[in-house]
Amino acid sequence: MIHELRILPPLAIARFGSAPTPMDNYDVVVDPDNPLGYRQLRPAETLVLDGASGEITETFVADELRFTENGRVRPVAPFLEVWALVGDQQLTGGGRLEALTTTLLEAEGASVEDLHWQVQVANLKVVRRTGERDDMVVADSDEFSDHAQRPLVGRCENFLAGKTIGFGHVQFVRPTAAHPEIRLRFTPAGGFIYGSNGPPPPPPQQPPDPGDVSDIVYDASKGLWDGYRDRDNDSRRTTAPGQIYAGFGPATAHVSHGYLDDGCDGVVRVTLQQAGRTLRAVGRIGAGPPTYAPDAVPIRTVGDELEQALLGPEVQPADATFARAEEIVRRAFETIRLMNTAVANEGTWWAGDGGPFMDPSLVDVVALENLHQTLLVALRSGTAPWFADVLRDHDQAADLTNPARRKMPAMMRGADRFPLALTRRQVDLIRKLAQGPLFTDGERP
Amino acid sequence: MRSRIQRHLWPVLGERIPVRQGGPEETIAPEVPPLELSGRDYAIFLLRLAAEIEHGLMVQYLFAAYSLDSSNLAPERRPLVRGWQETILAIAKEEMAHLVTVQNLLIALGGPLQFNREDYPNDNVLYESGFTLQPLTTSSLATYVCAESPQNWDTDQARDIKREAEIAAGGTVNRVGRLYEELVRVIGDEELVPDGTFDEDGGVFQASWDAWGRGFRRSGQHRPGPEDTDAREEHELVIATVSDRATALAALNQVGEQGEGFENPAPDDDDESHFQRLLGIYEALAGMSESEQRAVIRNVATNPTTHLDGPDVGPEPAADAAGDPPAATTSPISNSEARMWAHLFNVRYRKLLVSLAHTFELAEDRSDVNRPGPRGTLINRSFSEMYNLRSIAGVLVGLPLDDADPGGRSAGPPFQMPHTLMLAHDEDDRWRLHRDLLDASGTLIGRIAAADGSGAGQDYIRALAQADRIELAQVDLLIGGAGP
Repeated sequence: MIHELRILPPLAIARFGSAPTPMDNYDVVVDPDNPLGYRQLRPAETLVLDGASGEITETFVADELRFTENGRVRPVAPFLEVWALVGDQQLTGGGRLEALTTTLLEAEGASVEDLHWQVQVANLKVVRRTGERDDMVVADSDEFSDHAQRPLVGRCENFLAGKTIGFGHVQFVRPTAAHPEIRLRFTPAGGFIYGSNGPPPPPPQQPPDPGDVSDIVYDASKGLWDGYRDRDNDSRRTTAPGQIYAGFGPATAHVSHGYLDDGCDGVVRVTLQQAGRTLRAVGRIGAGPPTYAPDAVPIRTVGDELEQALLGPEVQPADATFARAEEIVRRAFETIRLMNTAVANEGTWWAGDGGPFMDPSLVDVVALENLHQTLLVALRSGTAPWFADVLRDHDQAADLTNPARRKMPAMMRGADRFPLALTRRQVDLIRKLAQGPLFTDGERP
Repeated sequence: MRSRIQRHLWPVLGERIPVRQGGPEETIAPEVPPLELSGRDYAIFLLRLAAEIEHGLMVQYLFAAYSLDSSNLAPERRPLVRGWQETILAIAKEEMAHLVTVQNLLIALGGPLQFNREDYPNDNVLYESGFTLQPLTTSSLATYVCAESPQNWDTDQARDIKREAEIAAGGTVNRVGRLYEELVRVIGDEELVPDGTFDEDGGVFQASWDAWGRGFRRSGQHRPGPEDTDAREEHELVIATVSDRATALAALNQVGEQGEGFENPAPDDDDESHFQRLLGIYEALAGMSESEQRAVIRNVATNPTTHLDGPDVGPEPAADAAGDPPAATTSPISNSEARMWAHLFNVRYRKLLVSLAHTFELAEDRSDVNRPGPRGTLINRSFSEMYNLRSIAGVLVGLPLDDADPGGRSAGPPFQMPHTLMLAHDEDDRWRLHRDLLDASGTLIGRIAAADGSGAGQDYIRALAQADRIELAQVDLLIGGAGP
């Protein structure tokens, strides 16, 4: 018997792309023969979804990975799968998750038609600034159980009549004998910019390039977004760093051009009506820019934040493994190559003691990469990490003295204008490992 | 003791010199500077001796820390021993900083650098029986405590520990502080070392805290949390640059205060000296039962060496029946796997010393930021080799010393000195030496990998091989395309 439903993954992030063919599937792996190199992209099984029929018509593993098609970026269009909790009612008590299939549905006396989806997404970037509810851009698929492509049409009270922003589309995959799983695919938008009909900025400001935008959608006579500027005294609305919207004018009075984009996030709901009861599951989707360094992972990710929120700031001793510590160091290594470390060492984007805070001879990218490669080598020996003492604690981020700025990770900016700190959980992991035996005699936990 | 050293040492030891052996008692007072030396030359002589001692102490401490093993204790007792280990490693790190500061002093006085020292066992100004690489015991700790002790340490406990150290070392254990006191006296004397002696422009070649201190500054250090039962004080590395008499004396005083205890420490002094920290470990270890001591100290061989038929090969040192001091001996590493790792250790140790020495030959120059900066690369490589030494030591303490005695003593890091630390005159040739060391390392890595694909450290050795390949390519670039 099915006790509960789940949508897995519970959070799927799509990547913009205007090419007609979504990106092929791939895994990101550490090559065991190249442990000090960058991660390898290994093509993986890709499902080909026929938009017209809604069926998966073939699967393949690409010979090579191509991120563009005829000069356009291929979107990353994730599949969301429905899984069922069967057996016991508790996962911890003998229950297990199984992919929901037509076979499992039939066994429950249900059919594919008993499944209903609804997807609601929004772009709240503007309303976050202006505080005007009429600046919300919302798309609602309404409930559906067919297998046609459902466009996600973003509507907004402050748009010009008849104007919308396309957030992409979703499609309930039609199960087949070869692919009986219950899936929904989210294909994001192309990553376009939309403009406003407001007047150009006063001279000597240059008007925005009309080529920037794909359509004029915002009605400046209705909303405040075109011409909006952050007020320093409204800390709820300002961001750090500021000026992260297109506009003109000085930093203290940055005026918005009234641009919007087709990024969005929201929820996916699925219901199964069967034998007089309704089972529900919710998943979350979002869409953002393409990843231009797919073989690298940021040192602190949303995943780390979620893990900390779910499991707390301390790791269990059994979870403090060398593999996890290596993953953190590897991400730092991967990030360095994307940085201008000489400029970062100047620390121009933050206050503090000012000037270089590391010896300039030490911060060239090659020297820093080598140093982190050394850390990776040493961790492979099972030697307790010795760098736990130089990690920046979460509550030290605002300490801008030079000794504090030398803490690790160094020269990287966090979500605000202060230096980046690892999550408390990441720090705790490394410290727990550092408190373990100095040598593990070849038996690395 | 080597006469080329000893004959100039009388002022440090503060003893009158017997004019003849076995004849009528007649002595003469030591002179400063000693005959044959000028004041500047005497200061350089003392600094080079200080460097050798700092180096020797550092390696002894590293070996002692590596000999500890917390994993055999009950979980609640492990942090205690792990804390000792980190404390001793921290002291070794501080000795390394002292060694670097002494090089700065040598540069300021225009003297030759000193990274050399004798192999173990060896005689020296500190102990008559010489430095010894040995597992940590209360006896070995007693010698370390005495070496680092302040001048007027003279309690009942002091007398007991000095007696224990004397038996262990086969004679009086001299204080390192005496050497630094003499250095302060000599360098502080304008007549012995005139103002014009100091090279005010030598700073570009000196090691700075910014480059070598990393994040190990006391402020903002890791603050122990509630579960940090091994909470320990963090100590600042003393890496001082020197341009004149005032900065020279400040550097010497800092080094002396941190380690060698010029004065009795105040009870409320947060920054415990090496002496205090080592004494604390001595007291804690002495308070352990014998069985617990056996559990936390690995049965590591004394003075392990790759030299199978060296002149000092012999049984484990032990006092004879008459209580005479033990003859210093070495323990050849006859287990073939351990010996390959020990050779690799020696190559990486040499690579560290060569990188250190080479760094001091290069002035800071960042004219081309798109190429690996040679000086920064060498500094980072020096740290890399420190990490490698620790990793390889971890493998060695887990391998048997002798195939014929599989349950017996384990091998350990040999820390054998290279045949030379002199660098070539030509800069390209200096980089060729780095390439030579990578080649030698590659040969040993190949042998280790081929010997046992599943043995200890195979994951590490594969990664090290790749790191060496990357470094080799960079070294060839620095040679100027002269590489293969």
